[in-house]
Amino acid sequence: MALPSQLGFQDAGSPLMEELLHFHDHALMVVFLISTMVLYIIVAMVTAKLTDKLVLDSQEIEIIWTVLPAIILILIALPSLRILYLMDEINDPHLTIKALGHQWYWSYEYTDYEDLGFDSYMIPTHDLTPGQFRLLEADHRMVIPTESPARVLISAEDVLHSWAVPALGIKADAVPGRLNQTTFIVNRPGVFYGQCSEICGANHSFMPIVVEAIPLEHFENWTSLMSEET
Amino acid sequence: MSLPKPVMRGLLAKRLKFHLPIAFALSLGAAIAFKYMVTEPRKKAYADFYKQYDAVKEFNAMREAGIFESVRPSGE
Repeated sequence: MALPSQLGFQDAGSPLMEELLHFHDHALMVVFLISTMVLYIIVAMVTAKLTDKLVLDSQEIEIIWTVLPAIILILIALPSLRILYLMDEINDPHLTIKALGHQWYWSYEYTDYEDLGFDSYMIPTHDLTPGQFRLLEADHRMVIPTESPARVLISAEDVLHSWAVPALGIKADAVPGRLNQTTFIVNRPGVFYGQCSEICGANHSFMPIVVEAIPLEHFENWTSLMSEET
Repeated sequence: MSLPKPVMRGLLAKRLKFHLPIAFALSLGAAIAFKYMVTEPRKKAYADFYKQYDAVKEFNAMREAGIFESVRPSGE
């Protein structure tokens, strides 16, 4: 989860999010490069004692300030496209879960297992126990196995929603009448939080997503238990 | 007595020749500083974290702390 006053990304929990972090560092480096140059030029212009009114054109500088930005853009675009195509790879998921957005909760269906589905409502602030996070906890968490490719099919039953878990680098719109697919692998066990990311009404801020990643054998135990209960 | 004729041409070029290399050097320096103070330490931090990472040990520690809802601590 994000900490108060946090500026940067959350620690990555999936290989894709790690790649996104490194790409962001690369792009931000380019931003600092350009911003430093522009800042220096602005200060130099503001402190200049003389004004040159007679320079009308210069082919040399025009070429430089066209070619150099083009090179910089290519240097940004190449890793960006690499990650874009990486995100679209379907790497033979072991598990498929459907995440459906409602006003104002999520429901999860594990159709690989018989009759396993549940709703996930936010825990109201007055019901929180010490140590739980305000506006982030849900009564039923989406449980997935670690180190296993998982596919989530995201849709909505009423209005637009968006299923997002920043630590795993996932965000996909939940559109009524449409299935959006995202795949991911969680590197390590833990609990990862997200929030609905498309305005959907009064309680848009109060329908969080909680993903609990546990080792495969414990996941199988959980699915057996849940199937028995339902 | 007449004064020497002042330089009247090439003033912008002279100024640019002085300032542009400094501008390029500073911006490259900022980029290199960011790369070696932020980008590379972050890559190293992730590599070091996973080199020694024992998922089973961490899972058990989290389980005993009661973090998970699908797997309760072994005492319960």
